[in-house]
Amino acid sequence: MRRRMKTCITFLGLLLLSCAVACNEQQTHAAASGAPPAIGIPVGPVPGPKVALNLPANPYANDQVALTEGRRLFVWYNCSGCHGGHGGGGMGPSLRDPVWVYGSSDAHIFASIAEGRGMGMPAWGTKVPEDQIWKLVAYIKSMRTPQEPDPPIVAQEPQVKRPGP
Amino acid sequence: MRERMQRFVLAIGCLLSLLVPALAQSGSTTTIPGQIPSIHFVSPVPDGEWTLPAGDYANTRFSPLDQINTKNVSSLKIIGTMSTGIPHGHEGQPLVVNGTLYVVTPFPNDLIALDLSKPGFPMKWKYEPRPDPKAQGVACCDTVNRGASYGDGKIVYATLDNHIVAVDANTGKEVWRTLVGDIDIGETTTGAPLIVKNVVITGDSGGEMGVRGKVVGLDLKTGRVLWTAYSTGPDKDVLIGPDFKAFYKKDQGKDLGVSSWPTDAWKIGGGPVWGWISYDPETDLVFYGTGNPGPWNPDMRPGDNKWTITIFARKPETGEAKWAVQLVPHDAWDYDEIMENIAVDMNWHGQMRKLLIHPGRTGYVFVLDRETGEILSAEKFQPVNWSKGYDLKTGLPDVDPAKVTHTGVNARQVCPSSTGGKEFVPSALSPRTGFLYIPAHNTCMDHESIQANYIAGTPFLGSSTTMYRGPGGYQGELLAWDVANAKPVWGIKETDFPVYSGVLATGGDLVFYGTMDGWFRAVDARSGTVLWQTKLASGIVGDPITFKGPDGRQYVAIYAGIGGWMGAAALPSISIDDPYAALGITGAMKKIKQVTGPGDLLYVFGL
Ligand code: HEC
Repeated sequence: MRRRMKTCITFLGLLLLSCAVACNEQQTHAAASGAPPAIGIPVGPVPGPKVALNLPANPYANDQVALTEGRRLFVWYNCSGCHGGHGGGGMGPSLRDPVWVYGSSDAHIFASIAEGRGMGMPAWGTKVPEDQIWKLVAYIKSMRTPQEPDPPIVAQEPQVKRPGP
Repeated sequence: MRERMQRFVLAIGCLLSLLVPALAQSGSTTTIPGQIPSIHFVSPVPDGEWTLPAGDYANTRFSPLDQINTKNVSSLKIIGTMSTGIPHGHEGQPLVVNGTLYVVTPFPNDLIALDLSKPGFPMKWKYEPRPDPKAQGVACCDTVNRGASYGDGKIVYATLDNHIVAVDANTGKEVWRTLVGDIDIGETTTGAPLIVKNVVITGDSGGEMGVRGKVVGLDLKTGRVLWTAYSTGPDKDVLIGPDFKAFYKKDQGKDLGVSSWPTDAWKIGGGPVWGWISYDPETDLVFYGTGNPGPWNPDMRPGDNKWTITIFARKPETGEAKWAVQLVPHDAWDYDEIMENIAVDMNWHGQMRKLLIHPGRTGYVFVLDRETGEILSAEKFQPVNWSKGYDLKTGLPDVDPAKVTHTGVNARQVCPSSTGGKEFVPSALSPRTGFLYIPAHNTCMDHESIQANYIAGTPFLGSSTTMYRGPGGYQGELLAWDVANAKPVWGIKETDFPVYSGVLATGGDLVFYGTMDGWFRAVDARSGTVLWQTKLASGIVGDPITFKGPDGRQYVAIYAGIGGWMGAAALPSISIDDPYAALGITGAMKKIKQVTGPGDLLYVFGL
């Protein structure tokens, strides 16, 4: 378990680095050698023949304790302020709905949180440890499923008494 | 002789200085046919152009134009439309200057000039300021903008990422641009600046992000910052000096903006100024209200939290405070009081007085003496239970402790909700009826406080809030309020949604406003009878204006584009199944997605 996580993290880190620093160079090199080019966590479609992406999976998927912890972190890091108390959206988009602008895989959601996104999603990678990001991913993925911890309840409209004069 | 000469020059100078503000506005007048003798408007009202956010300095949103009136309004029809291409909340209003209509769009805050002299109102030019896209993530309540001001040949407005830009009204070329805030600490700018003499006055937004609220004055010619007046902190930062005189004891003392907070909490204490700014040429004072303290959790900031939720009167050239009155000390409800402050002279209990009328988020219509800040009257205009009333001797509300939230304590059925008895959407005052036309809300809330964690550039809230319709089976109302007698006259109720558009009153005895499900209406100003209505393509959260075109005919313009805080529930990025989404408004807006969708339109109506 620990090892898998470490691999994931190293993998992610390397991908980021390799792309930021040497994307061009690698591609030329790959083309020359005929080896498949390195791909990060692609947000766009990958042109050409299909390639297996081997994206890292969430070590905490379906771990109920981690989900609850993810819920706590979602409030603690003020995700809830921007994305809604239970992820229904606000300053940032809903995370409850089936729409994923930057990809729906665990790895994509991890990348959205760690790297931030252009229209105002902060990059949390320097502030939130990786294992906590995975827990946040696990919690986000549990929304609208029976596993969702502390799910929102849309209450009946209470009968508010008319205040006296 | 020399002395007489001097006196003469002085007199001329005085006269001129009185005239300058009047001259700044062409297409305006002070003669209002049919006005009640006991009402005196203090600044010229627009009878042709619309050059300031509210049309006039005093924020009356009244125009004496009467070509369109109660007799012929039923034949009103669409003359022109334009799409901005941006499906977000279209708050605020266009300007009309010299045969040109100017639209400021929501983010990315383009300025579009339309030629009113040609059929179909073709575009003259478009100015694109290209604000930083990251600003969208820190804007609390959709990526809105509330409009521009015109002065000295320039259209001046704010971009979401805190640039104040001045654009040549003829050519569309940028004249200057000044950065006045920082998105990295959660600051945005959404309010409309007001130009008074040679000063552009504007405030910031971000009461949900732990910003330090402020107002800045910029030189209209160059964009240089002339002064900054913070809403919190020591007197020197708030521009409280020797000329400051607060009416109430509670507002008197040194450095209250520091001592009414726990150590250093004022530095992230909120009090942003994102609403309407008004000006009275008679007293030469600028008026505005400040927003909520941060975080929302009141237990984290024991004290009065000055100067949040306060009305300020300031000198336009220097920003110096003349008086201030805090309407809600130690707020526990997010009752920003950034609403319009309407300056008018009226017969008040038998005596002509200089009034400032402030219909508030707290659910009260406040009538103040605008020379001193004394509260002359505070009457509820919608269901209110957070307080029983105001003590006019002390200026303090009589708060119901059961309606105050604490950490882990859910105060239930608090009325009104954070969104208020009315929101920022501005009311209109007609001198022909003496009525204030209030776009009102009737929404209540369950409000629980939790520990807030300050992380710069992210929300600083500490609250779990859900909202729902208030008592009486309605959630919105266009309310005609008799100012002199402090009581309602008539109302038009909306079952499912608050009224979230501004209001316009005209010399044709019409009142224009829109609903969140997209009805645009003209109502008889005296009786409240709906005389005309038409369904627009999207919900209305903008403010109607009226003007005379180059052809001499009267037109009425309005935006249709749902969004803003409560209206955001109509946007695809918000899920209604989370009642805590968008700061808790979704429970009150359950039906909005069924009745309207995002829109981006300007409509111009005429006969
Ligand atoms: C300051 C407001 C803000 C905060 C705080 C914030 N977000 Fe975001 N978030 C946004 C915005 C705005 C976007 C959309 C960005 C874009 O489209 O470029 C976004 C996007 C996302 C996405 C991508 C959604 C998609 O459709 O692909 C995820 C996942 C996400 N945020 C998770 C989080 C988590 C988890 C936290 C807390 C650690 C958090 N956010 C905190 C504003 C915020």
